[in-house]
Amino acid sequence: MLNTTLRRHAPFWLSLIAGIALWEIAGRSTSAAFMVPFSATLVKLWQLIQTREFLNQLLDSAILFSTGFVLALAVGMPVGMLLARVRVLRVGTEPYIMVLYATPMVALIPFILSIMGFGFVPKVLVVFLFAVFPVLYNTVEGARSIKPELIEVAKSYRSSEWALWREVMLPYTLPYAMTGVRQAIGRALVGMIAAEFFLSSTGLGQLIMTASQNFDTGGVYASILLIGLIGVALMRLGLKIEQHFARWRQ
Amino acid sequence: MTQQQTAATAARTPLAATGADPRIRVRGLGKHYGALEVFRNIDFDVGAREIVAIVGPSGCGKTTLLRCIDGLLPHDAGEIMVGNERVTEPIAGVAMVFQHFGLFPWKTVTENVAYGLRMAGAPKAEIERKVPEFIKLVGLAGFEKAYPYQMSGGMQQRCGLARALAIEPNVLLMDEPFAAVDAQTREILQFELIRIWEERPTAMIFVTHSIEEAVLLGHRVIVLKGRPSSIHEIIEIDLPNPRTRETLRLPRFAELRERVWNTLMREAREAEFILER
Repeated sequence: MLNTTLRRHAPFWLSLIAGIALWEIAGRSTSAAFMVPFSATLVKLWQLIQTREFLNQLLDSAILFSTGFVLALAVGMPVGMLLARVRVLRVGTEPYIMVLYATPMVALIPFILSIMGFGFVPKVLVVFLFAVFPVLYNTVEGARSIKPELIEVAKSYRSSEWALWREVMLPYTLPYAMTGVRQAIGRALVGMIAAEFFLSSTGLGQLIMTASQNFDTGGVYASILLIGLIGVALMRLGLKIEQHFARWRQ
Repeated sequence: MTQQQTAATAARTPLAATGADPRIRVRGLGKHYGALEVFRNIDFDVGAREIVAIVGPSGCGKTTLLRCIDGLLPHDAGEIMVGNERVTEPIAGVAMVFQHFGLFPWKTVTENVAYGLRMAGAPKAEIERKVPEFIKLVGLAGFEKAYPYQMSGGMQQRCGLARALAIEPNVLLMDEPFAAVDAQTREILQFELIRIWEERPTAMIFVTHSIEEAVLLGHRVIVLKGRPSSIHEIIEIDLPNPRTRETLRLPRFAELRERVWNTLMREAREAEFILER
């Protein structure tokens, strides 16, 4: 038992350890201006998270991220289901959604900056735009794949339109939408950092910028590592939520 | 009309109710899909405690007919009355059991059975009382928390039946309900249905492509034929009620099955003949 578990997970841990070792060796054998060893990065990260400034920055980023992300869910999911249900709307909005889904959102940042300036709102808009399209797209695809038979059952039992959404459309679509939500987590993080770089400099983005400008390579690495870890943790959480809503599927 | 052949045999026979107070009245019903005429001039009644089986070759529009009666599809000629209500959309007190079961895969057995009651606006206490009762009636006790994917086809259809019965309908519409389960399960479910119907008789229309099933379950069998299809014959099934496994061995059962078979096959041979010409 233990043996098979060990064997199955061995490549994962071995690869991780090898990567860290490589990082450590590379860091020790190059100039500190380019690369910092893994151990030094961890020490730096540890020092960093104990400062008050860091906590403020983290809070700043968290507020930006969650505002934009929650807005993306609140818009993406209902609009997605509406588009799936009403054909005219879907066909009418399709070209815009396709273009916007395919456009790298970073390209829109200068445009948003020139219209809305440096405040909190344009930054939220950036995060929102990064995150909303995967949610919207997956929700539409999910809601469209619902079997017409089930809608017929609902009609046969005299379901109201509202009950049809609540009892049939939403529970059916949720696992699909959650796939989009997981993608959106990653994209919202990118959006968050991009907004913090290109609009008013705050949060973890500012942390990286400042460290970089001060040639504090350790600080840069520590921040990047932290953002990566947060990203992985959020994705795992998203997967768990997705599995919860998909437990009725085989 | 051939349905006038209907003659009350024993007081136990539900046919007695047919003439006087039909629960369902279908008159001059016609339906097109675009240019394609599916059926025309459909006339028949179903008594308040009667099972009418509808057989016909595949594609004859029997399922379409049932969906019209449920109000899921609009008809474009004639009228359908259920009780005193004219059917234009699904009406209260009518429940349909689907060939594909139509269970919601994200709902457990309990939640699926509760669905119809909740849509009918039943109070919570009533739902909590009735749902276990009907789960038990269809023999699903112990599977309350199972999801559809965890159950066999037969069990899923038991669940579908419980959901329909839970709203205590006075009309049950059965759309080839046992067509998607294996032969043994099908036989078990047929007799289960008879047992349940004896406990809670309703007006029932049972659509099937199995002649044997139609004769076993139906008090009358309607044979649909032609393109567009219309009622070819209404055959009274004067077998003793309730039907049991013994019924299958009666000479009269074999006779009636032959009769329905001949009616259908004559039609099939005519079609072949036309094709050959």
